[in-house]
Amino acid sequence: MAARKILLVDDSETILQMEQMILAKEPYELLVARDGAEGVARALEDNPDLILMDVVMPRMGGFEALRQLRGNQRTSTVPVVMVTTKAEADSIETGYASGCNDYIVKPIDSIELIAKLRDLLGD
Amino acid sequence: MVHPTSNPISDRMRSSPAGGASERAAAYLHPGQLFVSADSHAVTTILGSCVAVCLWDPVTRIGGINHFLLPTFSGQGIASPRFGNIAIKDLLDQLAELGSQKHNLLAKMFGGACVLEAFRQRQNHLGMQNIEVARELLESESIPLVGHDVGGQRGRKVVFHTDDGSAWVKVL
Repeated sequence: MAARKILLVDDSETILQMEQMILAKEPYELLVARDGAEGVARALEDNPDLILMDVVMPRMGGFEALRQLRGNQRTSTVPVVMVTTKAEADSIETGYASGCNDYIVKPIDSIELIAKLRDLLGD
Repeated sequence: MVHPTSNPISDRMRSSPAGGASERAAAYLHPGQLFVSADSHAVTTILGSCVAVCLWDPVTRIGGINHFLLPTFSGQGIASPRFGNIAIKDLLDQLAELGSQKHNLLAKMFGGACVLEAFRQRQNHLGMQNIEVARELLESESIPLVGHDVGGQRGRKVVFHTDDGSAWVKVL
């Protein structure tokens, strides 16, 4: 069985490295995009099983990317976990309104992230 | 918008949280945190698969709320209120420190959604595990669960009033 694909969408190299480090031992193929527009393009091309999406990014932010994903039949049901900060508490409602399935707050806890991903992937 | 639950919690939940809000200080609860107060507070939190247990003492009007993400601390990592068993114990301890009486405490519980339609038939999804841990611990502590809005498939925004235990839920 092919490894599940997780698409990591974030403009911060530090966060991307942290996410990749946390997930290194999990049986997932990790894909990377560095803004919302690239995230949408990669999702349409690579058909990930789950997307970790940052909120504030250049060119296209997480909420707009999420709305585009939900508006496309090919990506309308892919699980999306928003990655937010405590300062972005007000934006979490926007995330749900845009179609996210869950959220996680930075700094990302490895046990929490792995548990949420396993739950959302049915593992 | 009010969640059309088949388990109505109270009439207060079917109205906007604005009632009496000006008399209460506002607080926001992030995942893994808990909040207790002997003063009147309106505490807001947003739940997906996470669960919030709300406890209050109607005699002393002391109350609190937690927001946990995972059911049980297994010994790996730090024993934080991210875990349900830790979060509920800490909530009880902190309420007692403020002067609440455990035999007076009442509970409400929210959250534990299964946010993916494909897995809603599973009984062991993370949200359900969180709900069960909370139920078991409240039962073991003999704290009546007088209201709940749990499970389902959508996230929730919850506003809990620490002084009188009233709560407002908005489905997201």
